[in-house]
Amino acid sequence: MTSEAKTHAIDISSLQRDHQTLNLKEENLALEVKDLKLRYGDNEALHGIDMLIPKNRVTAFIGPSGCGKSTLLRCFNRMNDLVDDCHITGQILLDEDNIYDRSVDIAELRRRVGMVFQKPNPFPKSIYENVAYGLRIQGVTKKRVIDETVEWALKSAALWDEVKDRLHESALGMSGGQQQRLVIARTIAVKPEVLLLDEPASALDPISTLKIEELIHELKKDFTIVIVTHNMQQAARVSDYTAFMYMGDLIEFGVTDTLFTNPEKKQTEDYITGRYG
Amino acid sequence: MRQSFSEWTKSGAPWVWLNAGAVAICLIMVIGLLSLIAVRGLGHFWPADVVQGTYVENDHSVRLIGERVQTEIVPAEQLRGSGVTVAENVEEMHRSLMKVGNRDHGGTDFIWIIDDFLGNQEKPEMLFTAERREWGNFYGYLRGIKEEGKLVASHDGYESNPEYQILWDALQNRIERVTSIQEKIDHIEKGEISSINYELERLRLKERSLQLKEVVETAPYQAITDRRLELDAEYESLQSELLALYKAINRDSITAEIANGQVVEFKIASIVRAFLPNDMGLGGKLVHYFQKLWEFVSTDPREANTEGGIFPAIFGTVMMVLIMSVIVTPFGVVAAVYLREYARQGFVTRLIRIAVNNLAGVPSIVYGVFGLGFFVYFLGGHIDDAFFPEAKPAPTFGTPGLMWASITLALLTVPVVIVATEEGLTRIPRAVREGSLALGATKFETLMKIVIPMASPAIMTGVILAIARAAGEVAPLMLVGVVKLAPSLPLDLNYPYLHLDQKFMHLGFHIYDVGFQSPNVEAARPLVYATALLLVIVIALLNLTAIQIRNHLREKFKALEM
Repeated sequence: MTSEAKTHAIDISSLQRDHQTLNLKEENLALEVKDLKLRYGDNEALHGIDMLIPKNRVTAFIGPSGCGKSTLLRCFNRMNDLVDDCHITGQILLDEDNIYDRSVDIAELRRRVGMVFQKPNPFPKSIYENVAYGLRIQGVTKKRVIDETVEWALKSAALWDEVKDRLHESALGMSGGQQQRLVIARTIAVKPEVLLLDEPASALDPISTLKIEELIHELKKDFTIVIVTHNMQQAARVSDYTAFMYMGDLIEFGVTDTLFTNPEKKQTEDYITGRYG
Repeated sequence: MRQSFSEWTKSGAPWVWLNAGAVAICLIMVIGLLSLIAVRGLGHFWPADVVQGTYVENDHSVRLIGERVQTEIVPAEQLRGSGVTVAENVEEMHRSLMKVGNRDHGGTDFIWIIDDFLGNQEKPEMLFTAERREWGNFYGYLRGIKEEGKLVASHDGYESNPEYQILWDALQNRIERVTSIQEKIDHIEKGEISSINYELERLRLKERSLQLKEVVETAPYQAITDRRLELDAEYESLQSELLALYKAINRDSITAEIANGQVVEFKIASIVRAFLPNDMGLGGKLVHYFQKLWEFVSTDPREANTEGGIFPAIFGTVMMVLIMSVIVTPFGVVAAVYLREYARQGFVTRLIRIAVNNLAGVPSIVYGVFGLGFFVYFLGGHIDDAFFPEAKPAPTFGTPGLMWASITLALLTVPVVIVATEEGLTRIPRAVREGSLALGATKFETLMKIVIPMASPAIMTGVILAIARAAGEVAPLMLVGVVKLAPSLPLDLNYPYLHLDQKFMHLGFHIYDVGFQSPNVEAARPLVYATALLLVIVIALLNLTAIQIRNHLREKFKALEM
């Protein structure tokens, strides 16, 4: 197999990326996954995942449909708890604490680990109230604090200029791309440590997708970002690290440049060159 | 372009015709129903012309004065059978129902006559109609007005002249005077005296309760006695005021000639209004019509519900429905939230759901029986034992009343609210719930701040259905709180203002009572239609209000269907 064949799907050098040398061993860690197994009833979906998520980096999960990447993502803020018949063993450490420990306050965990879903899911409230929701849940009542946080979150989500004159109009009147950025603003308003993005651009048009990608690039200064995507170009564009999953196993994990240009495993290579998936 | 029958069938045209036909039949029936009750009910208030004629039957001739209410055709054979002399060659004859009024003199106020036997029909302009507080309508010629037994104005003959005009104007003035005195009397009797009575009753209960608690100090008893003396004094003064008013109201009387030529006398105090139907123009009749209509919806009933208004029944219906909604909405929503959001979905929840659905199909009278047996006698009886021992043996809540009626109907309609709310909860997208949970909200917060507000249009749909069902229900109410005539409204100015223990009037029951329990069926029949129309309007208004609220909520949460 020639090197042209390897980069058949993605020409990584043509993408505008920061050419920094990354080394996983030198990174601070945000999350650590230890032998995580998950089954729905009798059907095991994750077969013992071990993984490190570096702090203030963008980590992308790629893999074919049904490989378990979204399931793994949803383990990080215990969203899978909502599914009946879902059993999880193993550990996920957030700041050295196992989030699956009995003593963990799930609401507090979800505040620290925010999540943005595939489809924009704004609440049927005003734009302002959508962003303020998380704060109100935490019991913040001071209007000044809320005002400031809403403005900061909307600015961080690159939405402020578009909506500052209609903050009190319904969020449901916005375009899909705006809604998704609103959901991101809503999520970062509670200042989480980790931001989980579950195919955040898959329901959006190319221009909105571009905006979201730019946003991810900005946000990684403040947050650790984990993104699940179907779109390999997107993974290559936005991420620092990439994990390739297949059939409930983590096949390969490494620096994005390396994984796309010089994968270690045959399966990874086949996937990114478009042999299957 | 000939088409074979099978092609025509295949084209779907007959199916479309069938559907459209079914819709058309539904529409015609609904419109027909509404127009029937509207025409029959609203026609009642139109001031009909009063006919005078000479009625000859079997060589016996009388003068007849009255309103023609309805006319029908009867076969001559049938008349001959009942002993009426009918000419040989006649096949059928017209027969009319005449409202002749003057029940205090003639005994009945409706008679059937054969039109052909009524000769010399005319509509004299001087004939007047008087609506009275008792004995129904009066028809006749005004002859004189007496003040304290002395004649002050009079007129003879059947021709109008200035003298008659003076007499008539004097009558109108005196009716106005009487009406204003009557208002004062009502104010004292129904307002002040009833407040005093209410407070006296409360004092009695307070005293009794002190006795039951075996309080020995004299101070509380003394306070009660003092207050009672005060009230008695107040009552005495009101009583003398009343006496004066009664004397004033009974000062005037009129004399009038009735159909058989006799001149009778009665108090002006008994007249509600007097008018000359044959002398009224269209404008006058319209004014009269709307006055009567307003009276119908805004005043209390008179004469065993066959005259006057139905305001207490409208009030009772609306009140009962509102209290029912206030009870059923939270109850149904909470139950539905548990069933849908918290309970483990499985065999048991399915069983409960089936049971709830079937509950909606239980005949309403069964709820009435349950309400009477459980709520009224059991719960009410225990409430009385626990909280109102001083009133015993008279029951407070241990007797049918507004609260029990509302609760019984809430129970009757709760399945509708549960089903509608569950439906609404299932439709809230999972994504929105997860969005809230992912922000650190608990399940409870998510429910209260996101899910239930979003499901509120569906909840309102449930409430609308519940209102529609409850407002029209009569059978169970007859057992748990509705009466023919309630002495006072369940909401008044006496503490505690809302009297949940009182019995109340209801439009549905009023229809039944007026139509089938009335001593004067002919007089009551138009009222049945009028009341039915009003019941439909009240239900429609209640529903429209609820629909308005729902539309508002829908507008707020409209982009849900993503």
